[in-house]
Amino acid sequence: MSSSSYRLPLALPRVVRDEREGAVAGVCAGIARSLDVDATVVRLGFSLLALASGAGIVAYVGAWSALPAAGRPAPSRRRRLLGLVLLVVAAALALRGLGLADSLVWPAAFVVGGIFLTRRGNRSAVLGLALVAIGVLVFVDQNAGEESQNALLEPSAVAVALLLVVGPWAWRVAVERDTERTARIRSQERAEMAARIHDSVLQTLALVQRESADPRRVAALARRQERELRGWLYPDPQAAAGGLAAAIDAAAAEAEELHGVPVELVRTGDAPLDERVEAVVRAAREAMANAARHSGTDEISVFVDVGADELAVFVRDRGHGFDADAAAAPGHGIEESIRGRMARAGGTAVIDSSPEGTEVELRLRRRP
Amino acid sequence: MKRVVLVDDHDLFRAGVRSELGDAVEIVGEAASVADAVPLIRELDPDVVLLDVHLPDGGGQAVIAQVAPERPGVRFLALSVSDAAEDVIGVIRAGARGYVTKSISGPDLADAVRRTAEGDAVFSPRLAGFVLDAFRSGTPPVDPELDVLTAREREVLQLIARGYLYKEIAARLHLSVKTVESHVSAVLRKLQLSNRHELTRWAADRRLI
Repeated sequence: MSSSSYRLPLALPRVVRDEREGAVAGVCAGIARSLDVDATVVRLGFSLLALASGAGIVAYVGAWSALPAAGRPAPSRRRRLLGLVLLVVAAALALRGLGLADSLVWPAAFVVGGIFLTRRGNRSAVLGLALVAIGVLVFVDQNAGEESQNALLEPSAVAVALLLVVGPWAWRVAVERDTERTARIRSQERAEMAARIHDSVLQTLALVQRESADPRRVAALARRQERELRGWLYPDPQAAAGGLAAAIDAAAAEAEELHGVPVELVRTGDAPLDERVEAVVRAAREAMANAARHSGTDEISVFVDVGADELAVFVRDRGHGFDADAAAAPGHGIEESIRGRMARAGGTAVIDSSPEGTEVELRLRRRP
Repeated sequence: MKRVVLVDDHDLFRAGVRSELGDAVEIVGEAASVADAVPLIRELDPDVVLLDVHLPDGGGQAVIAQVAPERPGVRFLALSVSDAAEDVIGVIRAGARGYVTKSISGPDLADAVRRTAEGDAVFSPRLAGFVLDAFRSGTPPVDPELDVLTAREREVLQLIARGYLYKEIAARLHLSVKTVESHVSAVLRKLQLSNRHELTRWAADRRLI
């Protein structure tokens, strides 16, 4: 995907030989242009390098061979390879000129040349590895016999060479895999979010436009959508736990959808669902349905309070109320589905109704 | 008439609140960000700031933190669509006098503004539920004065959670409305000053402390 964004910090500005400006083959002029300095400075540098066992001359020939001329096709692979070898030799000569020992410089030249080759492709990689191996062997051979710590020299030389060869490659692979995975996760998340919004918010908006003449219906749609979106954005661990909290959430949502009356639900604590707790949920659902159907209220308040010894559910409306005793006559919904249910579960139901509203209070002692 | 500044980053919502409040209060200024709100409130010195919990550049508690020290007379009422307890508790602990949800009706909101301006604490049923949860016994209290609700305070909060108004609570508990209000204010004070484990954890998770 975006694997091409990674480059080893070895990349150099693109240099082309400038044959028109140049004195010999345009190498110095080309380098000067890409570095944005005067060509004389570069020429002076090559001349000084030439004093170090002729390193400057070898480097010049190497650069001539490897660099493309301006406006002409790139040199052949073979020419570029030759140029690189010459450049490495020139670097080695220069280091010798600076006074570094032969036993260090030539193995280093082999290793560096070999590493360059391993980065160029399959066939030269084999050659490159061979060069690195030769470099290491020569280094060990040259430095053995001196009184230095021979036992450590050999393995550490091999280890350093291996690190130089494999390190950049392993690094690049790791970076590529990371960016690819991040991109994949991101696009998956985006797709999931788009699907979710399409299935929920966009559908609701379409319904709202169609039913805009019925304010009650629009409010109910908005409320359902809000509940769903909120559950997604701010997941509530209790709502997902599958206990009393989740069951009450579902009952409140059902009452809202069936009867179009908003339910303001507040709950503290949670309890696992068993037969008795389920009976409380059913009784609460019946109370909500009654309030929505018969009381004429425009909002139902539900409070679920789970304490250590007792759980309590309050269902309250501000409707016109009813005669609780008359309604409790046999055959009526309240007697069976609220009072009877709570009694069988070992709890209590108190119904307090007046012209200002009704509250159903369900209590159940929790078993130790 | 109470002077109100409205801070919310949604233009549509501000317009809706303005028209719903109508002539009940005087809206003297509006801001859509923390950066705009802070100098505006300093300049206008309103009675009440209606404050969105979520603002793009820091949230309601950032406004309170920058304004409250110099303008102790300005009272803040949080207004939010968020259900997340830590957001609500966070803005209350920063100094807001109460919290109402954005689904509140116009007359109820006007009443909440008036009560906030008079120094009362405004607890919606939802906030009462959060507070009961936060003070639920579990860890032993460090400072009993601040870390535990009295039986009466708990009773008042439970009635708020059940949907009762202050005057209904007063009638039910045979108290005056003033006494109910002072219980709620005491709970608000505990909420803001307590170092109870659950409260600090909620706030710390959101880097509010």
